[in-house]
Amino acid sequence: MLELSAVCLRFGAKQVLHNISFSLQKGEFVGIIGPNGAGKSSLLRLIQGALSAQSGQILLKQRDISSFGTAELARTLAVVSQTTAPLFALTVEQVASMGLLPHKSWFELNSSYDRAQVKLALQKTGLAGKCSDVVDTLSGGELQRLYIARALVQQPALLLLDEPTNHLDVQYQHQILQLVKALGIPLLACLHDLNLAAMYCDKLLLLHQGRQVAFGSAAEVLQPELMTQVFGLPCEIALHPRLDKLQVTFMPASAERLC
Amino acid sequence: MLKRHYSLAMSVALLLLLLSMLLSLTLGSASLTLADIVSVLSGQPGVSPLADTIIWQIRLPRLVCAVLVGAGLAVSGAVLQNASRNPLADPYLFGLMAGAGLGATLVSVVLPPQLISLALGAFAGALFAVALVFTVCAGQRWRKVEMTLLAGVAVSFMLSAISSFILYFAEPFAANRVIFWLMGSLSRTDWHSVMLLAPVVVAVLLLALALRRQLDALLLSDESARTLGVNTARLRLILLLATALLTACIVAQCGGIAFVGLMIPHIVRHFFGVTSARLLLGCAVVGALFMIWVDNLARTVLPQQEIPLGVITSLVGSVFFLLIMRRQRL
Repeated sequence: MLELSAVCLRFGAKQVLHNISFSLQKGEFVGIIGPNGAGKSSLLRLIQGALSAQSGQILLKQRDISSFGTAELARTLAVVSQTTAPLFALTVEQVASMGLLPHKSWFELNSSYDRAQVKLALQKTGLAGKCSDVVDTLSGGELQRLYIARALVQQPALLLLDEPTNHLDVQYQHQILQLVKALGIPLLACLHDLNLAAMYCDKLLLLHQGRQVAFGSAAEVLQPELMTQVFGLPCEIALHPRLDKLQVTFMPASAERLC
Repeated sequence: MLKRHYSLAMSVALLLLLLSMLLSLTLGSASLTLADIVSVLSGQPGVSPLADTIIWQIRLPRLVCAVLVGAGLAVSGAVLQNASRNPLADPYLFGLMAGAGLGATLVSVVLPPQLISLALGAFAGALFAVALVFTVCAGQRWRKVEMTLLAGVAVSFMLSAISSFILYFAEPFAANRVIFWLMGSLSRTDWHSVMLLAPVVVAVLLLALALRRQLDALLLSDESARTLGVNTARLRLILLLATALLTACIVAQCGGIAFVGLMIPHIVRHFFGVTSARLLLGCAVVGALFMIWVDNLARTVLPQQEIPLGVITSLVGSVFFLLIMRRQRL
């Protein structure tokens, strides 16, 4: 589905990404983790075509990503980024309908099939009852679900998520990740919370200062030495007894003072 | 905004537009009834040649121009507000008015008489101002909408200063001519003006309607629009050029008619909805309706004298502007 080979990115004199290589198969959820400034969002922007790689190759559905036109790319790949409410009072249905844009020509009107797609996306994201609500009135979690609904209307082959759980409380964090995982679309997401990443992702890509430190399953990537080296704090990693998922706990440098 | 509310608002606005157009044709120094108007327009025999001339050669072209100017300015304002995500954007950004003023000043004061018409001079001046703003904003900075707005303000002041300098040394008659022209009026319009304005207004409206989905996508954020396949920089360039051309044509024909492009989209959003298709069509109808009544007011309030359109629209618009500021706590 998605394959990166020795991808490098440079902003002026600054090398932002060095030799990133990984692949994402159909049905997989890959999480990109790492501290601030590691290059997570830059990598996501590179894959979505907003930035151009200095070298290396990005293949999407076995085709070089640079060979996609902007509309064609938007039909293949949808992005849910950190969201803001629109300037004017748009309704939930109007924002979700924006996902039809890459499929439409200049004067083409929405068909009954299009309207059904929008309705279905809103149902999947639990917003069917809020079609006519103004976006301003939604909670943070609902707003995030709305942007996921818009992405679903795009009918993408791959969904990119940039910090989808930022600024959300615990309940919404799990709700959003459960929702996207249940969609059955291959997912690539930048995640800050390592425990959420361990819980929901099939594979993790660990970045540090623009370099790929590790790529693999949570057990392969979430190693205490690696985490300490990347995040600069001692850490303990344990298997949750009931969830059978790894849990990362960082120790403050002066942990004894907390006791 | 539900579909039935939009349909109702549009039906009411269209009905009011039709009634206003008919009523406007009865207003003027020559007394003509609605029956006379209908007779003339339907080409019935027995109508006086004078009434026929007044309707076909004076009132109707002026009325059609009012419709085109109102629709054009309101549609331009709506496009610019959505494209820049700035609810206070107006077609007179980019220094268009100041450029037109400088063009008119040069034609009236500096160049030999009759060399170029005042309208053509104003048109060239308006395009010059736009070109200047676009040159300043070219390249990377062009992508930032705020830069375009700031460049428009700077160019506006610069060109106004040059005009004022020239007018300060000009003979009073020529200076008055330019100043009165800049205040805006439909009194100089004829079928020739209609032929010039109609294709541009229709073309820009159709272009904006064709790009309505892209305009809607811009309402969220540039990055969000790009993920939907919108080339935001190219879209803005196309829309800004189209609205600048339309406004330059209007200014050249009718002088300065400020605030229509700022005010009408806000009213339309309230009654018609905020998505671009509804907004653009609503602006075309309500803008036309507004301009018809501003012109009616301008030519009937004082006996034997016309008030410049810009005076009325600026008065109404500035009050409206203050209300928006108060509401949004800018």
